[in-house]
Amino acid sequence: MITYIIRRLLLVPFLLFGVTVLIFGMLQFLTPVERSALYVRDIPKTSKQVDGIILKYGLDKPIHIQYWRWLVGTIDPVTGNRTGGIIYGDFGWSRTGSQPVVELIKTRFPNTLDLTLWAVAPIILVGIWLGVQAAVHHNGFIDQAGRMFSIVGTSFPTFVFGLLVLMIFYANLQWFPPGRLSTSMQAVVNAEGFRSYTSLLTIDSLLNGRFDVFIDALKHMILPILTLSYISWATFLRVTRSSMLETLRQEYVTTARAKGLSERDVIFKHARPNAMISVVTLAGFTVVGLMGGVVITETVFDYPGIGKEAAEAASQLDVVTVLGFALFNGFILIIANLVVDILYAVVDPRVRLA
Amino acid sequence: MSNQTPNDNVLLRVEDLKMHFPIYRGVIQRQVGAVRAVDGITFDIKRGETLGLVGESGCGKSTTGRTILQLYRPTAGSVHFDDVDLVHLRGEEMRRMRRKMQMIFQDPYASLNPRMTVTDIVGEPLMVHSVATGKEIQDRVQHLLELVNLNPSFASRYPHEFSGGQRQRIGVARALALQPSFIVCDEPISALDVSIQAQVVNLLEDLQQQFNLTYLFIAHDLSMVKHISDRVAVMYLGVFVELASRDELYEKPLHPYTRALLSAVPIPDPIADAKRERVILTGDVPSPASPPSGCRFRTRCPIAEAVCAESRPEFREITPGHFVACFFAERFL
Repeated sequence: MITYIIRRLLLVPFLLFGVTVLIFGMLQFLTPVERSALYVRDIPKTSKQVDGIILKYGLDKPIHIQYWRWLVGTIDPVTGNRTGGIIYGDFGWSRTGSQPVVELIKTRFPNTLDLTLWAVAPIILVGIWLGVQAAVHHNGFIDQAGRMFSIVGTSFPTFVFGLLVLMIFYANLQWFPPGRLSTSMQAVVNAEGFRSYTSLLTIDSLLNGRFDVFIDALKHMILPILTLSYISWATFLRVTRSSMLETLRQEYVTTARAKGLSERDVIFKHARPNAMISVVTLAGFTVVGLMGGVVITETVFDYPGIGKEAAEAASQLDVVTVLGFALFNGFILIIANLVVDILYAVVDPRVRLA
Repeated sequence: MSNQTPNDNVLLRVEDLKMHFPIYRGVIQRQVGAVRAVDGITFDIKRGETLGLVGESGCGKSTTGRTILQLYRPTAGSVHFDDVDLVHLRGEEMRRMRRKMQMIFQDPYASLNPRMTVTDIVGEPLMVHSVATGKEIQDRVQHLLELVNLNPSFASRYPHEFSGGQRQRIGVARALALQPSFIVCDEPISALDVSIQAQVVNLLEDLQQQFNLTYLFIAHDLSMVKHISDRVAVMYLGVFVELASRDELYEKPLHPYTRALLSAVPIPDPIADAKRERVILTGDVPSPASPPSGCRFRTRCPIAEAVCAESRPEFREITPGHFVACFFAERFL
């Protein structure tokens, strides 16, 4: 088990290298003028300024030198100040956010993480529960209804469903507003006394003892969670169901029955844990998908997460911001992949030898 | 046989057991027929006895074993185990009966839960039946592993770390955990190498003597069945065609199907092999969803006559203890 984890960890540097090469490669499609946003705030206006920047940041140098400078930055020979350098967390200047890309991520990502935190449990637990129920009642009413739902769920676009629930629960019923916080609650958060421990609003509000802020933050997340759950449930149902059906046909399930286990124990102690092996992958990538920002859902509900910001940057051709987000997303993906691989070994003892 | 006087020595009595699997077709999934995997079999097994059950693939051998253990609920008939009718047992009562009857499966790779250690696999029956707890389970598992000639220090390993023969012995240890009186061995050696088959069969024989076990030994290897069984039943398309003591069946087979099967067993002597009369069967086994009228075997039988299509031959006792389902059984006496 330990060897397995160490071997997985050894892979990480190579994956990181791969991600940076890929993102750097994409940056090469930009003109030097556009790429200057990696280093300076103001877009150079005259050709003389452009030439100066190209010279100063080595944008005319061979590609491997450019890559190296992109990684570690450029030191000004006179002042000794460093500009750029993604390993120091300098992803360039975001035109749309009017601040460094990293600062933008720092303000937006906690919101996305907050949403992920609250959406993960309903998505995964309910999704798996639905799938198990459908498999256990194979071809019964629950199964047929579940299959029906799964077809509708996968084919109903997110933005249509999102707008629909927004119309019902906000426009008509006025229960759950879009956005992140009500104006009055935002004032509380911005006030002196409110300390930010984690940047996650729901957690900070609890730590500050402001239950009203907590409730308000949750109220703003319910519709996005509902939308995300709805589309993910369909996938989870399908994957869990087929995996569970396959497991229930295995002979060791019959063995378990022959041992004299109750049907409940047969399903939940023998069949379900084995069926989870294929669900772990799906769960891992669902979480990564959520953390990387759910562009459509965040945009529909005006939720200030990383997905909505990426959509805005993309619509304004702010490529440096988009690629900065992509780089960040790549890092998350690598870490999540690692976690999924380790979970695999926990779930399936056969993997530990591999 | 069903009107025999009750015998205290009988552990298992099966009467007119039927297992039909429904076939559903069409949009509304209407039942259009049934696969008659087991279609009316009657026999009993005495305490400490091994009844061999042979037949071609798909003839209903495994279904018979599983239906007896109520892993499938039979369509009709009764299974009396220790004078308790298993067919009508439900829930907790059924679970308690399972302590006394266990099964060894054909495929040692598929029948062990890959996520459980050997201790969990072998010890789980002890736990669910509250036979032992905590440390006691560990001790019992160690003892059981020794019993099947496995190193007790392997207890914390997972099934994939073992070879086929070792896995099958884990399966045997698991079946023995609750000290059952009856074990269905469902082709326990078919998936193993020839060199390991003998190991497992000898182990089963040793254990039988040690614990006075009763076996229903399902196989398609006639020589292995001859080796281990006291009595042998031959099955064809869901029914028993012949049942006799081992020596009687192998020396004086009365049913044409048994004769064909036995004549196909290779003899390790080319001269004797060349001399003997071979009964070659033609055609395929008919579908159990639409078996032939009258005698099941008539479509492939070398001695079939018109009467065979009209009525089903009774499974009758020709000589004491020798049952045959054939109109012309006396011909071979």
